[in-house]
Amino acid sequence: MNVWELIIQQPLVNILIVMSNALGNNFGLAIIALTIIINLALLPLTLSQIRSSKRMQDLQPRLAELQKKYAKDRQKLAQEQMKLYKDSGVMRAGCFITMIIQMPVWIALYQSIYLAMAVAPEALLNLSRFLYPWDSVFAALPMSREFIGMNLASPNIVLAILTAASQWVQQKMSQTPVTDPKQAQQAQMMLWMMPAMFGLLALSFPSGLALYWVVNNLFRIVLQYRVTGWGAFRRQARQPVTPEKRRLKFDTTAEKPAEEESAGTIVADTSTAPPPDKDSLKPSKSRFQPGKDRQKHPKK
Amino acid sequence: MKINWPSRIAFLLALLIIVALVAVGCVSGLTPVGWSGGAVSGGFLYVGSQQGRMVEVNLADDSRIFSEALTPVSQPGLFGCGSASAGGGCGGGPTGVPVYGTPVVSGNLTYMAGYNGKIYAYNTSNLAVRWVYPREGNLQPFVGGLAVLERPGLPAVLFVGCSDGKVYALDAELGDRLWESAVSDDKIWGTPTASGDTVYIGSFDKTLFAMNVSDGAVRWEFATEGSIVSRPLVYQDIVIFGSFDRSLYAVNTADGSLKWQFTSKNWFWSEPVLYNGKLYVGCLDKFIYVIDPSTGAKIAEHEVDTALASTPVVVGDSVIFASEQGIIYAMAAGTYEVRQLANFDQTVDGPLAASGEVVFIHTQDNMLQRINAVTGALLSAISLQP
Repeated sequence: MNVWELIIQQPLVNILIVMSNALGNNFGLAIIALTIIINLALLPLTLSQIRSSKRMQDLQPRLAELQKKYAKDRQKLAQEQMKLYKDSGVMRAGCFITMIIQMPVWIALYQSIYLAMAVAPEALLNLSRFLYPWDSVFAALPMSREFIGMNLASPNIVLAILTAASQWVQQKMSQTPVTDPKQAQQAQMMLWMMPAMFGLLALSFPSGLALYWVVNNLFRIVLQYRVTGWGAFRRQARQPVTPEKRRLKFDTTAEKPAEEESAGTIVADTSTAPPPDKDSLKPSKSRFQPGKDRQKHPKK
Repeated sequence: MKINWPSRIAFLLALLIIVALVAVGCVSGLTPVGWSGGAVSGGFLYVGSQQGRMVEVNLADDSRIFSEALTPVSQPGLFGCGSASAGGGCGGGPTGVPVYGTPVVSGNLTYMAGYNGKIYAYNTSNLAVRWVYPREGNLQPFVGGLAVLERPGLPAVLFVGCSDGKVYALDAELGDRLWESAVSDDKIWGTPTASGDTVYIGSFDKTLFAMNVSDGAVRWEFATEGSIVSRPLVYQDIVIFGSFDRSLYAVNTADGSLKWQFTSKNWFWSEPVLYNGKLYVGCLDKFIYVIDPSTGAKIAEHEVDTALASTPVVVGDSVIFASEQGIIYAMAAGTYEVRQLANFDQTVDGPLAASGEVVFIHTQDNMLQRINAVTGALLSAISLQP
């Protein structure tokens, strides 16, 4: 038995078996309980990770400003960004370091679940190597794999869908808003790729693992909600229309078709909207294009 | 050039998760492979290969005949990982249906039960399939082996326990079902033993059942504290079997009352063997035990390198054991001295077989290793792949 098995896997396997025995030989409940316990044990790390991400999210507008301000001076931009991180107490690598610390625990947990389920005869034989000489452990084996009508040793489509869905929600909630279109595209890809991947894996592996993933994701969703609220869902709810598509028509008699208007041109729709206040009709300085506007609206 | 660290790290993490999942799911021996032992009859050895074939080895010239490969229940899942019931391999593992039970030979037929939930009867001459049970569909996986009871003037009966908790009795000649008995609420992975008019078989529900050969009715049952996969051994008026509760039990065949109990430090997986009035048994606690079958008293013990899952075999005046790590030991029957014969450095879980002085060991690299147990000479291995 190697160090990994001796220090991490063996204790987890035995705890799982004892818990299953204590919970009426219900392995599903044992998986849920152990996942929650491990999550609670890692709570300080997880909270630190979520808060770090939250601070990063909060800094995004200021980072965007810096990017605009120092668009042509990369060195200065990097300096200013570092200064901003330092002043705000954000460690950029912090959340990733936390994740890397947590990873071995998650891997050990699902390895233990897989091992304790003893899906194949070889696995059952292999399991005997990991057992502590406790009567409660030996009496509990092999464990029942039935859980609310599911066989935890076989793939289950419902749990696979729940795995993917909960993973998507959790990722969506923790998504950091980005201004760079490339980054946004990558983030969007990850948002769909990871849940799809886990969903497919859940269809290939025993559903006991999927149960662990679902409980783990739900725990993270609750935690994320407590710290940051609905995150990206809330931001999306506040901004139902993207800036490029926003139109406030103020001149319904304009001869120029809407398609020819440049993005961000403000047009008030007097037929449906109340009269806008004067300031809101002013085009933003950044979008004002004097040369172009002069051509389109020559002086009378 | 600006490096997009968050997306790179996220990508690396995703990659790490995939590698970890695949590594655990497909490499760590958690998928069914099979460990069929060999059955020697009429100068031939019959063994189930990891590709799901019956292999007949002519012991005179080492020539081999292969049966058709067993058909899996369904297609393998994603990443090459077949579901347990499909009998699919995973990653670099075998792609066929695993075979766990040792084949049995009766007359001109040899029988094998597959992990795909089917039982096959082959002609011994050419390994052509004589019959399959069930003819349509599949039962739950078979992990235990078969037992044949030959009765004078009556057709031989084939017994097998299934993962569906039932024991099946089949007409050995035709493959017709004589009876089925749902004795257990849990899986049956044990191999039955038929003796006289009784069949004995252990179950995952921690019970040993004694059943009528004629109709499958349970005559008595004996409850232990652990599951039973070890094949029972009938000796005089007792039946001896091991359990996952770390005990070896001797139960009276007449009424199922306990005669004695011997407790070790881990599961008893393999079947004990009897030689010269002594019981020899390997345990997953890495010990070989010699026990008095009348009283259950320990006569001798010897610790080896790893767990002992494979059933030993008697050759000459020695009992031959194989540890899980592939080290072969010979225990002298008179002195209980143990000497190491060979180290194959391959996993050995299945029962050993012997013909004369030669011991056959089915290792997990799908080879049939051979060793002369008297001289200790290693003989050339036989591949179980066509």
